[in-house]
Order: sequence, then C-alpha cells, then structure tokens
Amino acid sequence: MRAATGWRHRVRRLPVAPYLFIAPNLLLFSTFTFLPLLFAVYISFNEWGLLGQPHFIAAGNYARIVEDRLFWRALGNTVVYSLGTVPTSLALGLALALALDRPLPGRSLIRSTFFLPVVISGVATAVIAAWLFNDNYGVINAVLQRIGLPKVNWLSSPSWALPSLVITTLWVRLGFCMVVYLAALQSIPSDYYHAAAIDGASRWAQFRYIVWPLLSPATFLLLILNVIYSFQVFDLIYVMTGGGPGFATTMLVQYIYQSAFITSEMGYASAIGVVLYLLILGFTVLQWRISRQAQNAL
Amino acid sequence: MQQNQRKTTPHLSRRTLIKAGIGAYAALSFGRPARAQSPTRLNFAFWGQQPEQEGFNRLIEKYQAKNPNVAIKAEIVPPGPQYYQLLDTRLAGGQGPDLFRVQYQRIGKYAQNRAAVDLSRYLDKDFGAGFGSTFWAAASFEGKVFALPHHTDTFGLYYNIDHFEKAGLEAPKSLDKSWSWDEFIKAARRLKEKQTAPYPFAMHWVLSNAYRWLPFLYQHGGAMLDADFKSPMINSKTGIETIAWTQSWFKEGLVPANTSIKGTEATQNLFANGTISMLLNGNWQIPFLNEQMTRFRWGVTYMPRDVAMASDLGGNCVAVSKDSKNPEVAADFLKFIASEENMREFIIAGQFLPVRKSLMQETIAFKVRPELMPVFVQQATTIPEHMARTEVLPKWSEINVKLNDELDLAFTSGQSPEATAKNLETAVKQILAA
Repeated sequence: MRAATGWRHRVRRLPVAPYLFIAPNLLLFSTFTFLPLLFAVYISFNEWGLLGQPHFIAAGNYARIVEDRLFWRALGNTVVYSLGTVPTSLALGLALALALDRPLPGRSLIRSTFFLPVVISGVATAVIAAWLFNDNYGVINAVLQRIGLPKVNWLSSPSWALPSLVITTLWVRLGFCMVVYLAALQSIPSDYYHAAAIDGASRWAQFRYIVWPLLSPATFLLLILNVIYSFQVFDLIYVMTGGGPGFATTMLVQYIYQSAFITSEMGYASAIGVVLYLLILGFTVLQWRISRQAQNAL
Repeated sequence: MQQNQRKTTPHLSRRTLIKAGIGAYAALSFGRPARAQSPTRLNFAFWGQQPEQEGFNRLIEKYQAKNPNVAIKAEIVPPGPQYYQLLDTRLAGGQGPDLFRVQYQRIGKYAQNRAAVDLSRYLDKDFGAGFGSTFWAAASFEGKVFALPHHTDTFGLYYNIDHFEKAGLEAPKSLDKSWSWDEFIKAARRLKEKQTAPYPFAMHWVLSNAYRWLPFLYQHGGAMLDADFKSPMINSKTGIETIAWTQSWFKEGLVPANTSIKGTEATQNLFANGTISMLLNGNWQIPFLNEQMTRFRWGVTYMPRDVAMASDLGGNCVAVSKDSKNPEVAADFLKFIASEENMREFIIAGQFLPVRKSLMQETIAFKVRPELMPVFVQQATTIPEHMARTEVLPKWSEINVKLNDELDLAFTSGQSPEATAKNLETAVKQILAA
C-alpha cells in the first residue's frame, strides 16, 4: 500500500511539460531520421534492389566494401577534398573575420557579399560555378585567354576537376566560417586587449596568446561542421562533374547515391552509409577528446 | 411423357448457374473495350520537353472526352536519373503511379521485378504484330509484354552548313553514301584545319548515356554480348579498336574534353552557338535547334559507318504499374495512346519516329523542318536488332554503369583500350553471373 502511494507520488512529480515541448520534434526526428537510420542499418545486411524483396546476406555487403577498389578511391577522394577544404576555409574565414572586425567603410556590405553564397541553395551555387568553370564558354577561361594564358579544362581534366570543386567549396564556406569567427571575436572583452597593450604585447602576441585560445570553441565547432560537410558533399559534385572525369571526383556520398539509385544496390549503399556514419562519428569523438584535453591544459 | 421430360431436362444446379454467370461475364468483358463504369482516377508519370508534354496532355484530354468517368492526372517529373529514382522509390513504397513512361533500355528491370503489369491478358493475341519487331521485343520479357511501345528516335549527324561551305565539305545525301569512319575523321580534321569552330564535333552521350557508344561498336562489326546474351564479347579486336577510335577523338582534340560520358555539357548548346561544327545527336533536338540556332544555317545527314551501318535505339514505351488499382482501365488508355491515329499525333507533336509498322511506311507531315526527318526515318532502319535486345536485358542498367565508368576513364584519364575492354569483360561477366 505504501509502495503504491510512493509510485503514484513519483508519477505525479514527473516533469511532463518538457516532454510535451520536445514531443513534436522528437516525433518528427524519429520518423524522418532515427527510424530510417535504423532501417538503413537493417538493410545493410541485405541484398535489396528496391523493387523486389530484401534478401538477408549477413555481413556480405561489408565484406564487399573491403575489396571494393572504387570504395577506397571514393574514400581517398573524400579525404583529399576534406583536406583541401577544411583547413583552408577555416584559415581564410578567420583572416576575413579579423579583417572585417575593424571599422571599415561598407563593412556590412562586404560581410553580406561574402555570406551570400551560404544562403543560396547548393544546387544553384553549383550551377553558377559550373558556368564559371565551363571549358568552352566559362568566365574564368575567358579571363585567362584575355590576359594571354591558355584555357584550362577545369571540370574535364582529372588533375583540375577536384581543385575546381575545392575552390567552389571555399567560395561557399568562407562566409559561414567568417560569420562564426566574427561572433566569437566580438565576444572577447576589449579589456583583454587593453591589458595586453599596457603590458607591451605586440599585435601578433595578442593574437597568439589571447585571440587564438579564446577562439578555440569556435574553431572546434567549425572543424567538426566542416569535416561533416566535406564528408557529406553531394550536390556540388552531382551538378558540376557527376563524379568524373573517370573517378577523379567520385566522393563517398556520390558513390552511395550511385549504388542506391543507379545500380539499384540498396543494401550495399546502406552499408557504405553506415561506414560513413561510423567514420564521421569516430572523427567527431576524437576531435572532442583532443579539444577537451587542450582546454584542460589551458 | 411428363416423366420423360423431367428426365431429359438438364438439371441446373446453383454451381452451374454461377459458372455460367462467370463465363458470360468473362465473355462480355473480353469482347468489349474496358470502359470504367464508375469514376476512375489514374496517375500517369512521364518526363518530356514542352512539345512532348503537350502531346501527352492532348492524348489525355481526348481519352477523357471519350471516357467521361476516367480522370487522368499527368505527373510531370524531371528527366534522367531523378525520374527513375522517384519511380523506384514510389514503387518500393507501394505508391507507384498507375502508368509510367520508361525507356526501352530500362523496361526489362521493371518486367523482371514485376513492377510493371503483364499486359498480355488485356491484348489480343496478334496485337504485337502491328509494331516493329525490335520495339515489341524491347517491351517483352519471357514471352509476355510489360509495356506498349510508344515511339522511337535515333541519331543523325547535324552539321553547320556555313562551316561546311567554309571548309569546302559536302554532306552525304543518301544513306548508302554515308561517310565511312575515315571520311568522317578526314572531314573533322579539315574543319579543325580551317578553324571553322573551336572543335569539329561532339557526340551526345553525356550524362552517363554510355549505351549510345554501342552503335559504333556494331558499325565496326562488334557486339557487347554473344548471340545468346550470355557472355561478353567486348574484349575482342573489334571492341578494342572501337574504343581506340572513339578515344582518338579526345586525344586529337576533335571533340571538347567535357563532352565525355560523365560530362554535363549540353552538346546541343555547343552546336547552336557555333562551338562545334558537327553534332551526333537525336531527332528530338530539331525543335530546339530550329528555335535557338539563329546565327547559322544547319542540316542533318547520316551517321558515319564502317563495315556496317548502325544507330542508336532511342525512344520510350509506357507501362502499367503493379500498384494500379485499375489496371484494366490503365491498359485501355495504353491501347488508346498506342493506336495508329494517336501515335501519329504524338510523334508529330514531339518530333519522334513511329513504332507501328503502318506508320513506318507513311510519310508523316512533321511540323518543324519536315525535310530533315526522312534522314532519321531511314537511319532508324539501321538499328541492329542484336544491339536492341542487348540494351533491353534486365541487367542492362548495371552493365551501362560499368560502360559509363570504363569509357570515361579511356576518354578522360588515358586508360588504354586494352585495359578498358578487359575491365569491361570482367565487370560484365560478374553482372551476368550474379
């Protein structure tokens, strides 16, 4: 009797309101993200062409990944693309934020101009970039020819296709990195700079010992987000190169799409998707630990 | 007497009555066209340029006027991979459209998986006799028909008349005078020498349509698969030579580098704006060029040839999906749009070629540049039946992906023709064995 009263008491004390508030989001998240994620894991152990019935093959798809040269090529391309885009977009974003964090005529307009590609849809950006880089009538080649330089097969040469994508990505991401760094810079109290100046610290010393350490949470956030964006790149590739020439720009998500909807190997595509998920998760956890150690050391 | 009568009068049991009733209903049902007695809604998924959309919409309106109980909703979807992605996902979820347009190269997959309905039960036995055998075979699988052929198209060689005059070239005037491979390359080199345009020509196999490379293989006397469609034939002298020949276009700079298989360049734009002097492309480009190519005069001649003539199998059929709740009415609509009169109306609207034998013999009064269409009509007679049957195999989609990959590597990344043929042979063997 006493136990029953205690149970009722506990139920009455349960904080219902927070659950009610998160319920709509939780419901949508479960329906459109979490359950499909679980279904993808289930499908990764099956052979399924989408039109027929799934056929259980245990870890067959994962065994195939190990031997699939194209998977490793796509992973390699994704890593190279990430190395080309993540550090550079962070460095350029920071440089831009530092430059635009001081009073300048037309500062808001310049900031908005750099941020504009972030708000345009990825496909629209890719279409514009494809026009700019077009071998035959692109603006970039026209400028090169005007100044007496030869044309470059930007998107159709295996050596230039990936750099062209990296340049386009930087154009898109620069504004995002700039805005995050600007917000972080503006949250640093000006007293720190004044105190450092009184102590005779140079501009570089101020940046090295005050700004950079205080920007580390923003840097960590941008690093994680940019790595995720780079590993999940799809729209840019799909519109600009279709994964070619050859396999020069075939990335993991492009390969997943091709396996799922072009060759109708939904099980194999899901298995690669699971591997990609684990890779991103592993990298995020690793970065998290490194970041925490660095903060503890401060 | 009465007793005798009782003996001779057949006894009608309840079961006999039911059987007779079913028999009578079946006889009546099969003997008349399927007309919806109660309001019926059908969804029809297709893609198409403006003239095709208008063509389909007109057929829908006509059918609805004859069948007031039927409402057909046109679902226009972007073409290419997105169309099939959407269709497959809907079919997997049991939400497929009642009717869907599909390329001949892809119907095999839907037939094999029974995502399309077997239409045999809705058609007279000799219904297929009215269609060109290649197209009827393309829509059939294991002796049953899963779609009705609706139209076809094929490739020809578009040429810039102004550029040809500048280079002193004359295009072939008849099919039997079509250029050999050597003559075609000589013409391309002459155009390059005279600098009529940045590049002499381009082939429209971009956006991963590698199957359009096959006509060159057949022109050279080769084939992708053996006579039984059981083993690859690509790793042969003819296969390697054809890869080498098409690869030489890129090596020699006769075609723009971004018009390889995985390229995304719209080749018709390059022709219209004078970037190339010749374009290997399909008859459906005529309305576009007629409207856009205003700075140059242009014409069409025949595909180049080698030991044989061959051209691309293009065009589409229409199928009834497994998810249709009214397959009988949907099949009736199919028969309606594939009738002689309606097929003629559609191909005139969309600038296509007919697949009915009776229309193949007829001089169709096309609306746009009608003087050019006979070139395509004649060229369509060179589509190799073996190639057509290869391209409609259920596993063709998978083979086509490998063909995309390997040919693009040969054209853009310097992969040797020998390695390309060998890789293709290995891949095709694996696909056929799976």
